[in-house]
Amino acid sequence: MEYQARVEGPYTVIALAGEVDLHYSPQAREQILHHLGEQKNLLVDLSMVNYIDSSGVASLVEGYQLARKTGLAFGLVGVSEAVLQVLQLARLDKVFPIHASASERIVSDEQA
Amino acid sequence: MTSRRKENPLLVFVEDVGRATVRGIAELGYVAGLLGESLYWLVLGPRRRQPVRLAAVFGEMMNIGIQAIPIVAVLNLAIGIMLAIQGIATLKLFGAESQVVVGIALSVTREFSPLLVSILVAGRSGSAITARIGTMLESQEIDALRVIGISPVRYLAAPVLLAMLIIVPTLTILGDFMGMLGGAIYSGVELNISLWAYANRSIEVLAVDDIRQGLVKSTVFAVIIAMVGLSNGFQVRGGAAGVGRATTRSVVMSISYIVLADMLFTYFLNR
Amino acid sequence: MASDRPQPAIIEVQDLVAHYGVRRILDGISLTVNDGEIMVIMGGSGSGKSTLLRYLLGLNRPTSGKVRMLGKDITHMSGQELFELRRNIGVAFQGGALFGSMTVGENIRLPLREHAKLDEQTMQIMTRMKLEVVNLLGFEDLMPAELSGGMVKRAAVARAIIMDPKLLFFDEPSAGLDPVTAAELDELILRLRDAMHMTIIVVTHELESAFKIADRIAVLDAGKILLCGSVDEVRQSGDERIQDILNRRPRNEDVDPEEYLRRLTGEAL
Repeated sequence: MEYQARVEGPYTVIALAGEVDLHYSPQAREQILHHLGEQKNLLVDLSMVNYIDSSGVASLVEGYQLARKTGLAFGLVGVSEAVLQVLQLARLDKVFPIHASASERIVSDEQA
Repeated sequence: MTSRRKENPLLVFVEDVGRATVRGIAELGYVAGLLGESLYWLVLGPRRRQPVRLAAVFGEMMNIGIQAIPIVAVLNLAIGIMLAIQGIATLKLFGAESQVVVGIALSVTREFSPLLVSILVAGRSGSAITARIGTMLESQEIDALRVIGISPVRYLAAPVLLAMLIIVPTLTILGDFMGMLGGAIYSGVELNISLWAYANRSIEVLAVDDIRQGLVKSTVFAVIIAMVGLSNGFQVRGGAAGVGRATTRSVVMSISYIVLADMLFTYFLNR
Repeated sequence: MASDRPQPAIIEVQDLVAHYGVRRILDGISLTVNDGEIMVIMGGSGSGKSTLLRYLLGLNRPTSGKVRMLGKDITHMSGQELFELRRNIGVAFQGGALFGSMTVGENIRLPLREHAKLDEQTMQIMTRMKLEVVNLLGFEDLMPAELSGGMVKRAAVARAIIMDPKLLFFDEPSAGLDPVTAAELDELILRLRDAMHMTIIVVTHELESAFKIADRIAVLDAGKILLCGSVDEVRQSGDERIQDILNRRPRNEDVDPEEYLRRLTGEAL
């Protein structure tokens, strides 16, 4: 699956979709790391994700860690209730910067 | 069942023999199945993307083989020396002491080294394999493997079989060498044969066939040790005591089968 | 997800009969487990509950009867089909059954290595996430022998959920644990169901834990299901055996003098 990437303000937004499971998470991981490798500030849009398993979450963790190491911005947007529960189980809901949407993130950046 | 015990003793005996036979055949069937499945995974595992783990094979080879090197070396050296003592004493009666080299070369490569090495490996590793598999069975680790989708035969049995098939013949070659070295050392002292002359004479009398005979035997012994050790392990019942019983049974069984197989081999290969 | 699946039943057991030698251990078990529910199979020792679990897991072949799991009959399945099915199933065994030759982390990653092709880094993060879920983060590099009994059990849970299975089995989760740890494990079972939408089957003899976590309870006795129903249904059941079990009364079977005498003297018919 090729995930859609778009640009919003200072951010590149990758929209993951469908089921991010053992099968698809390697592609998601590769795209996340690819964009970060090109020094893009990254937001991952999860609004079209109806299921994410721990391999998917692990890929997000890896991306966030890489972003922090290289001084890039990283965040999750469009986190549904179902996805949030998965993040909560691993106590990651407090770790990731989570915003409703990319524009909301941009607004909150300006306020900060 | 219980009431029949009091009846005709002959009937009881026949019944017991019958039961034992059925058990024996069932066990033979089990071992054949285990061997077949191990070979299946070794050959076809990679194609099913479930290969036998090489790391496990090397691990087994370390346990079975590398760690057995010192004892194999020392005991075969001792056997060689013993054969030299006995041989020289016997041959002296005919004034043919120098022929001791021939006797040692042939009996070590064809008989003593394969036999001694297999008995050592059976004692050291056959029992350990039974104990390990039996313990894993009792602690539900084998169930856990199956539930994860890992065939215990592929994961545990096949590496043991392959490692045995590589290690036992290799150790036998080491045993051949050490046995003859033992003979050479004693003969050197007793008969003043130089190591060099002894080696030349040994090479002269040894045909490829002699070494091959020993290696064919040791390959068969390797299968015996692996299969007896594994099948006893997989059939453990009854907790820690059961593991202990199976371990003892495993050693006695493999040594018995090795000696029996050796006898058959020696008979047929020397006709 | 998978809302388009026609039948809601995740597990369907029909007339399962099993023998151990000549003894009939399971005597016509029929049981349905629905999607997303926590089913507790309860019974004393010798009731056949551990045996039932083995048949549900496809570890033994039954004498007769059917076990359908995720819509497929596991009693007539090829090795490859069973292998595929096993991706969706996690099992936490009673004693943990961690492999003694591997570290805790390697134990937990083992199912991933067998079933998925993931980056090493991803697998490590997943392992640590699961260890965090069971409160064992930081114990990854220890050997199982270095852990306490309760820790081994929790590590086994981490291994059971590493693949995010649809179906999770627990064999006696609270046996041998101190009350606090046992309660934590019960809490974890509830959280797993809610967050991961797992269907969970728990085999236990612990009443308290059963009542706390179960959506439905199947009470097993002498190889038969006495009752399968909600917690309240079980509590209010008029069945004498069930009340015996609930009130921990020793069973009082009627003795047939003839038969008993025969058994004592070893006189078979």
